[in-house]
Amino acid sequence: MTQAVNTAGDSGAATLAPLLRVKGLKKSFNGVPALHGVDIDVRPGEVHGLLGANGSGKSTLIKILAGFHDADGGTVTAHGNEVSSPFGPRGLRDQGLGFVHQDLGLALSNTVLEHMALDREGTSQGWARVDWKAERARVQELLDRFEIDVDPSATIDMLTPVQRAMVAVIRAVGSQERTSKDRSPGQILILDEPTVFLPRHEVGLLFNVLHRLRDRGDAVLLVSHDLDEILEVTNRVTVFRNGRTAGTRSTEGATRDDLVQLILGARDEHVAKGKAVIRDDKPPLLAARKIRGTRVQDLDLDLFSGEVVGITGLAGSGFEELPDLLFGSKALVSGSLEHGGQAVRKPSPVKSMDAGVVLIPADRKSQGGALELSVLENMSVPFLAKQAKGWRVPWGALGKQAQDTCHRLNVVPPNPQAMFGHLSGGNQQKALLGKWMDTQPLVMLLNEPTQGVDIGARREIFKLIRAAVAQGMAVLCATSDYEQLVEMADRVLVVDEGRIRAELTGDDITKDALASAVYAEEAS
Amino acid sequence: MSTTEKAPPATRAVAKKPAEPERFALLGVWAVLIVAFCVIVPETFPTTANISNMLGSQVTLLILALALLVPLRAGDYDLSVASTLNLSTVVVAVLNVNHGFNIWLSVLLAIGAGALVGVVNGTIVTKFAIDPFIVTLGIGTVVQGLIYYLSDSMTISGIDRKLSDVVLTQPFLSIPIGFYYALALCFGVWYVFDHTAFGQRLLFVGQSRDVARLNGVNVNGLRFTSLVISGALAGLAGAVYAGTTASADPVSGAAFLLPAFAACFLGSTVLKIGRFNPWGTLIAVYFLVTGITGLQLMGAQQYVQQLFYGGALVIAVILSKLVRARGERKRRAQIAA
Repeated sequence: MTQAVNTAGDSGAATLAPLLRVKGLKKSFNGVPALHGVDIDVRPGEVHGLLGANGSGKSTLIKILAGFHDADGGTVTAHGNEVSSPFGPRGLRDQGLGFVHQDLGLALSNTVLEHMALDREGTSQGWARVDWKAERARVQELLDRFEIDVDPSATIDMLTPVQRAMVAVIRAVGSQERTSKDRSPGQILILDEPTVFLPRHEVGLLFNVLHRLRDRGDAVLLVSHDLDEILEVTNRVTVFRNGRTAGTRSTEGATRDDLVQLILGARDEHVAKGKAVIRDDKPPLLAARKIRGTRVQDLDLDLFSGEVVGITGLAGSGFEELPDLLFGSKALVSGSLEHGGQAVRKPSPVKSMDAGVVLIPADRKSQGGALELSVLENMSVPFLAKQAKGWRVPWGALGKQAQDTCHRLNVVPPNPQAMFGHLSGGNQQKALLGKWMDTQPLVMLLNEPTQGVDIGARREIFKLIRAAVAQGMAVLCATSDYEQLVEMADRVLVVDEGRIRAELTGDDITKDALASAVYAEEAS
Repeated sequence: MSTTEKAPPATRAVAKKPAEPERFALLGVWAVLIVAFCVIVPETFPTTANISNMLGSQVTLLILALALLVPLRAGDYDLSVASTLNLSTVVVAVLNVNHGFNIWLSVLLAIGAGALVGVVNGTIVTKFAIDPFIVTLGIGTVVQGLIYYLSDSMTISGIDRKLSDVVLTQPFLSIPIGFYYALALCFGVWYVFDHTAFGQRLLFVGQSRDVARLNGVNVNGLRFTSLVISGALAGLAGAVYAGTTASADPVSGAAFLLPAFAACFLGSTVLKIGRFNPWGTLIAVYFLVTGITGLQLMGAQQYVQQLFYGGALVIAVILSKLVRARGERKRRAQIAA
């Protein structure tokens, strides 16, 4: 299906002038160039992907278009009007560009209707009376047209993540329809990684909306990390590498490897998986016995030395809860944990750390590290509990260790004094990984370890984990990223309704097998 | 920190800490203020008596600000510190004057009373997970009521001179001895904050409860402890205050609350921007008193004190917000790059 649509979209669009054309856009920060003059064309009737590793400049481009930064040079043509930099604090919003940012910009306690009626571009400005009846009708019509089953009176916190994303997209569409009566029919929409926080099986609903926009002749620019998503939903893709346009190509017939090659500029190497695990008589390093949490139901689990166990399932199946339950940071409703065969009384993070069990949480920004403290301070927390028995923190030794770890793990910048929040997602994750590796843990619990991490850092993280596992560590990795499980896991447990429903091992772990195991459960 | 300076030359270029001249801005303004007053009121401002008075008169405030600094570092407000100070003063007076207790025993019990207020605050805050802002506001008012009850709403004078001798007189280099106690306490708080695991854990609790918890830090335990320390130090400040006035009245402690907050917040814009730190607090306290004293010597009335403290608190908060926004822009720029 996708292919047929692609062909139609391509041949139709090829004859038309692009709705959005970026030419030679440049930007430096403190003399360091972030964009060396990038070009990108988005035609009417296409969804155009924008790919690139972290730091490749794609966020910078979006921020320039939206007016967060101003460009140092270059032009943007939108709806046929050419504008040269500087673009001013409103960016190109007044040129008819609509934006949906990653955080979606929705207030949780306000209703869908309120969001869409009171937009800046709305009819209701200043002290004028808001015609709620007309607004409601307009919003309802818009939702119906895109077949979004959401009540306009619903507050945002009642919506599922994908519904929120769809509302954010439709909101941008709606506000443009009102202001662009005299413009060409096509709209320009820029979506900045709207799918990162969405459960994978629901992403399709959002894609349906994008397809509708494409079919009516809009130009959609979709920024994403996810290659599969790009291949599935876009007609063409532009790849940025180190602040330059590495290439633009049709996604029809393209493979992941083609894209990875464009992103990295070199062919992708696969991390070699370990040999099949040889179990001896030793007890599991970490075991769960009939544990129950909010969603997990009477689940049993054993983690042995030298293996990577993947945990996956649909969002809400309970798999995302497991790392916290096993670490003791979320209380068990019932059941028990064992460390090395010994039952643990009242599991807690402190007890887990004492037993060599560590957790890297999914939410780096609020749970992984303190953003306003330095990398060194973040990396030294576990040691403050263990080493700092006396009255003095050994800042000298800790600093040296942090410096060594940052160098070894290729953290950029390799400076432990840098503020943690200033690092990119991939580097933050490497620093956290290094911090825990330095405590020489026996078991590492990972929750979505490569979310928001670029493809280069992702590979490095896999290598680090594999190396530690070869030394005898056990790893549990909860993720909905099948690709990652294929690359990393020795066995994968598929969770459904709080219980383990399937186990895949070794070469049986493929994306297809995982997908069918996960979705099969849904059907039953 | 020293580790980066010792780093090999190859890494030094990147490992350099970014220069932040703003962190010395308040020191600069302070210096300008001093020079200005020396020029405008040369016969009264730059005198030994005035300097000694300025340094000596702020000891109580400085100790109270250091008390407040501990829960602030853990991310909690303690609005009861001023009442606790007053309670301690009254306890010293009641025990020593009305009941004939030994003065040192009275002081010890007063500090204990302060710690007890902290225990009550900490228990409610951690056991019931209630915002300390509300809890300490309520408990502070309860304590104020207790003060009226204990003192019969009267000023009690005649506290043993030995206490005044220890905190007020016995000047060293013409400066009241109490100043040196405050200085020593500043050093102690600095050491605990920056060089002990306790201080570092406190910092993490203040920055992110979740991060601290997932790194094995006993978050509630530390918050409890910080409120108890705050209460005990406020008790100490109260005992020092009793020594400086040799009497105890039921109301004057309340006047310390805002200056203490002003000093802590203004202090967080100096030396270590965005962090509550003892040396910054020390500088802020003396910056504020320099301004107030100078203006009063120029003939300004009592109201200048309120203008200065209130203004300083608001400006300090704005400043930290601006500095944070600047850091955020830098961060965005770096990530985008």
